[in-house]
Amino acid sequence: MKTRQIPRRTFLKGAGTALALPGLEAMAPLASTAANPGGDPLRMAFVYAPNGMIMKYWTPEGKGSEYNLPQTLAPLQSVKSEIQVVSGLNHDKAEANGDGGGDHARANATFLTGRQAKKTSGKDIRIGVSVDQLAAQKIGHHTRFKSLELSCDKTRQTGNCDSGYSCAYNHNISWSSERTPVPAEVNPRAVFERLFAGASSREAMEARKRRMTYRKSILDTVMDDARGMQSRLGYTDRQKLDEYLDSVREIEQRIERAEQLDLHIPDVSLKPEGIPKSYKEHMRLMFDLMVLAFQTDTTRISTFMMAHDGSNRSFREIGIGEGHHHLSHHNNRKDWVEKLAKIDHFYVEQYAYFLKKLQSIPEGSGTLLDHCMIVYGSGISDGNRHDHDNLPVILAGQGNGTLQTGRHLKLPGDPPMTNLFLSMLDRMGVEEQRFGDSTGRLEQIS
Amino acid sequence: MNGKKHQYNMQWQLAIGCSLTLLSMGCNRAAELVGDTPNSEASVVMEYDYEKDVLPVFARYCYDCHGDDMDKGGVALDTYPSHAELVADKKTWLMVRENLVTRLMPPAEKPQPTSEELAIMKAWLDREVFQLDPAHPDPGRVTIRRLNRQEYNNTIRDMVGVDFQPAQDFPQDNTGYGFDNIGDVLSLSPLLLEKYLDAAEEVIDMALVKSPSPTRMEKLDSSTFDGGHMSGPATRVLSTEGAMHVYHEFPEAGEYMVVIKAFGDQAGDEPVEMEVDVMSDGWPSKEFKVQAEKGRPDLYEYRVKENTPGRRKIEIEFTNDYYTAKKGERPAQDRNLYVEYVAIEGPLADKEFEVPESHRRIYVVEPQSEDDYDAVRRILENFALRAYRRPPADAEIEKLVELVRLARREGDTLDVGIRIALQAVLVSPQFLFRGELQDQPDNPKEIVPVTEYDLASRLSYFIWSSAPDDILMDLASRGGLRANLRTQVKRMLDDPRSYALAENFAGQWLSLRKLESVMPDREVFRSWNDGLREAMIQETRLFFTSIQREDRDLMNFINADYTFVNEQLAKHYDIPGVAGPYFQRVRLDTSKRGGILSHASVLTLTSNPTRTSPVKRGSWVLDKILGTPPPPPPPTVPPIEDSEIAGRKLTFREMLEMHAEQPGCSSCHKRMDPLGLGLEGFDGIGAWRTKEEGVTLDLSGKLISGQTFSGFAELRDILSREQADLFIRCVTKMMMTYAYGRGLEVFDEPEVERAVAHIMDNGNRFSELIWAVVDSAGFQMRRGDPKGRSLANEDKLQ
Repeated sequence: MKTRQIPRRTFLKGAGTALALPGLEAMAPLASTAANPGGDPLRMAFVYAPNGMIMKYWTPEGKGSEYNLPQTLAPLQSVKSEIQVVSGLNHDKAEANGDGGGDHARANATFLTGRQAKKTSGKDIRIGVSVDQLAAQKIGHHTRFKSLELSCDKTRQTGNCDSGYSCAYNHNISWSSERTPVPAEVNPRAVFERLFAGASSREAMEARKRRMTYRKSILDTVMDDARGMQSRLGYTDRQKLDEYLDSVREIEQRIERAEQLDLHIPDVSLKPEGIPKSYKEHMRLMFDLMVLAFQTDTTRISTFMMAHDGSNRSFREIGIGEGHHHLSHHNNRKDWVEKLAKIDHFYVEQYAYFLKKLQSIPEGSGTLLDHCMIVYGSGISDGNRHDHDNLPVILAGQGNGTLQTGRHLKLPGDPPMTNLFLSMLDRMGVEEQRFGDSTGRLEQIS
Repeated sequence: MNGKKHQYNMQWQLAIGCSLTLLSMGCNRAAELVGDTPNSEASVVMEYDYEKDVLPVFARYCYDCHGDDMDKGGVALDTYPSHAELVADKKTWLMVRENLVTRLMPPAEKPQPTSEELAIMKAWLDREVFQLDPAHPDPGRVTIRRLNRQEYNNTIRDMVGVDFQPAQDFPQDNTGYGFDNIGDVLSLSPLLLEKYLDAAEEVIDMALVKSPSPTRMEKLDSSTFDGGHMSGPATRVLSTEGAMHVYHEFPEAGEYMVVIKAFGDQAGDEPVEMEVDVMSDGWPSKEFKVQAEKGRPDLYEYRVKENTPGRRKIEIEFTNDYYTAKKGERPAQDRNLYVEYVAIEGPLADKEFEVPESHRRIYVVEPQSEDDYDAVRRILENFALRAYRRPPADAEIEKLVELVRLARREGDTLDVGIRIALQAVLVSPQFLFRGELQDQPDNPKEIVPVTEYDLASRLSYFIWSSAPDDILMDLASRGGLRANLRTQVKRMLDDPRSYALAENFAGQWLSLRKLESVMPDREVFRSWNDGLREAMIQETRLFFTSIQREDRDLMNFINADYTFVNEQLAKHYDIPGVAGPYFQRVRLDTSKRGGILSHASVLTLTSNPTRTSPVKRGSWVLDKILGTPPPPPPPTVPPIEDSEIAGRKLTFREMLEMHAEQPGCSSCHKRMDPLGLGLEGFDGIGAWRTKEEGVTLDLSGKLISGQTFSGFAELRDILSREQADLFIRCVTKMMMTYAYGRGLEVFDEPEVERAVAHIMDNGNRFSELIWAVVDSAGFQMRRGDPKGRSLANEDKLQ
């Protein structure tokens, strides 16, 4: 099995200005893959924006293709024909439903799972497998990495994260099992090294190969250790140890895939440094890495939490000193609302950067963006009231020609967000009858 | 409210068999709890009849609001159809118990039960509703704990003796119950496992010296050189000024001896001069005077250092040609340089090089040959003992040895093989998890003392956030740890590694870590910068450590008259006479400052970016100091700050009063707000102030428990005088959660109470807090797992 050709040489410039990829046109034509015979692989990503939006500046007037981008969405003007603004989706499972406060924890935890988080400070955390991880588990074996999880939250809150919910709910949107959150990587340098470690020189490849041989033997040995412990551990302990065993298996498989896929790893002369001081540059670097991972078919599935829900970061870059969460409880104070709109706009700007970058990369007969489905959204609409209905959602990319872009889709009947996910899973080649609280498929997107 | 000090422990302390003080003299708590020895004193627990003894008390003090058709807050205690159903409603009774214990109920303005009446209610609750048996406390069961980032770093540091923080790039750990060492939420992902594999490689590489490669000698015959010309089968000559050269691959970095076998035709008044250069960056060439003559060549040595491996040009230059062929002179005067070969020897063993401590700790013996598997075993046994925190089984060692053999079969050296095996140890679940193996792990009735080795780990990760040291391991191996527990705890607290308590326990208990990410607005707070942020964190850590090291009264956390400042923080506090970046202890004007409530760290992390938040501060005090966190606000209620009325901006006090009158808001805000208002004398980054926006602040208030105060100093004194028992209980529960690695449950209550009583009977000393936690059932013992479902105790206590 062979994957696509990868650029012979990749340059990663400094933060923000990012990872330019010259010489792409010189690349050999795309090879079709086993997963997608004859076609370009389809990619799927989810970008989380925290604390809801000022909806009056988000929701476009008009519907269908006859609509204008409102002020918050203005940065998307040049890619307007490549997106669908989707209005009317809901996350009912993020509502209290008898569990009381904790809307931010739930907004975050429900966003990609469509399930009600079990309210606990630690014991028995439980929610559900997220849409990205479900896809990763089903089709992730076609690429070197099943999925890529990113975030810009450097430090984590400790203590009670939100009204009696464990911080695990607040800081993770990806869940590989109903009990296991998938942590996101924050440091762009670390992401890069993980994805593209090992230069392409011959000796490095040889050294890498040998290293992987030993690594597999090490994994065999420790797997044995873990099995040896099982009989003397209790039920709950064994569940924890299962996480370990699953991870060992996953890494073993990844090593095997890397061997089979006969990889060409980009020869990288510059690497991203650590975490940039500027938040904007940090986000852009993360988007650059997602683009690079998609472009090189290192993975086809990614999530990026720009900030967790309830985030109280301030935005000196755009002159806002107050914390985001604090402002979000604006109680309709005019100046607060305007500041929030500015924050919403700032986040959308970074998303627009991502889309434009995907669009700038030719692939097959179109662009990389044509072969993507990129969801942008929040688990809360009105941050002041913690509403979880009529969520702000954008679906970008044509999904290999299966999505009708360039319009404002106003959905009747309050469908759950998970209907969208179910339809996306279909396109990824993952057949599910239900996902989370889905009630059907979201046919309108095509 | 009756704020009598020690009411709690005098009245509610249940009789205990083996007193904590006796323990230090050899009485073994674990043995006692297993029940080998009958516990005579424990049997004085009174039994009360609900109808006859208990109901009348509830009716007298509670039914005004929670009975007789009243159900304030949705709680009525007299509407159960049967006694069985009444007893079964553990959720409500847990709330009742918590409210009684923390004196939240009955409210201060209502009649208060006597201590005897309180004792009756509580004794009934504990026995009949919660079935607690203080003589046989349930130790609970901590879920297998993965090392968190801090623990991983510290463990590696203490195992190999190098502090290089390999966990820096690990994903953040999830937290539960306020701490990041809770087994239930510490998960493991493929990403993390990958990081473990990388870190293992890095750790071993950095800890061990590169084994010196065998020195090799390579001879380069001059027939293979360029430049000059051959003069005979094995000799190259330079007969005019010029150079010959050859390329050589240096296999690795290191020092090499370059030996040139040469001679000259001597002529004129100086010997043949030869300049040798290995063309690598920065290494100087060397000049030789070649005195040797034809037939008696000599060896000329040139020591070079190559910083990287690679192909280098070796150039040999003849620099002083001389030729005269005067008429009549025979033979002509001709000076020439002849080279037979260049030999390169290396890399040379460095005689100066000293094997680092980290290497010697791992290579406890140097293998004598490439087949010295005895040495391999000794190295691996020693390393696995430290890593697994117990002696490894022979079979485990054999599996590791097998990895060494594999490397040998692959053609690698024994050293490479050992490194692979060492890496496997660092990725093994035995190292990454603190698994406390048990014979009957799924039998909840099986209550056993943890093994001595597991106890050593519990102690070391509690007090040091790191692995047990040789002393603990040695005691455990002889079964002597429990017998010397008190001495060991004292030794561990005196050890510098116990600074981990300030970083990890205090950092989370007081939410100090949050300070790393707060972003006060510099437009409003002009003096704010990262230096000030660091100084604030440092102040609180040093303060915590001073209470620990000096074994002070825990109440000093609230009422201390000293703190630690550097110049920047001193300026922030208006304390004169402190210069420089180093921290020093200063006495405080206690009318303005003293105790953690006045630490800039705490005051900043409980503020909004642009201004103070009395509500957040009040909530913080309730949660972190009094152990009575308020419930979350209802979602649809707007924040009270910044409301306006008829265009006039209200003072915060006015807004608060308005807000507190709203139904649904008042019960909590009346608890929180006065505490926060008492701290309004400190601005959003903790600087002292008397005015806000030109208006003189009113700093007085009345606590829900009835006491009034005129400002910070009086508020602090009320808390430290009259709420001391609540504070001790709060910090004890926090410390137990941290030490146990699990959330506390109602079944832990007898042990909490026992610990609180012990601490208060012993002058609230810090060391007694640590001791009481170590000496509790949850720390000493372990029970089987009821498959994650313990019906009786599912309700969490809080």
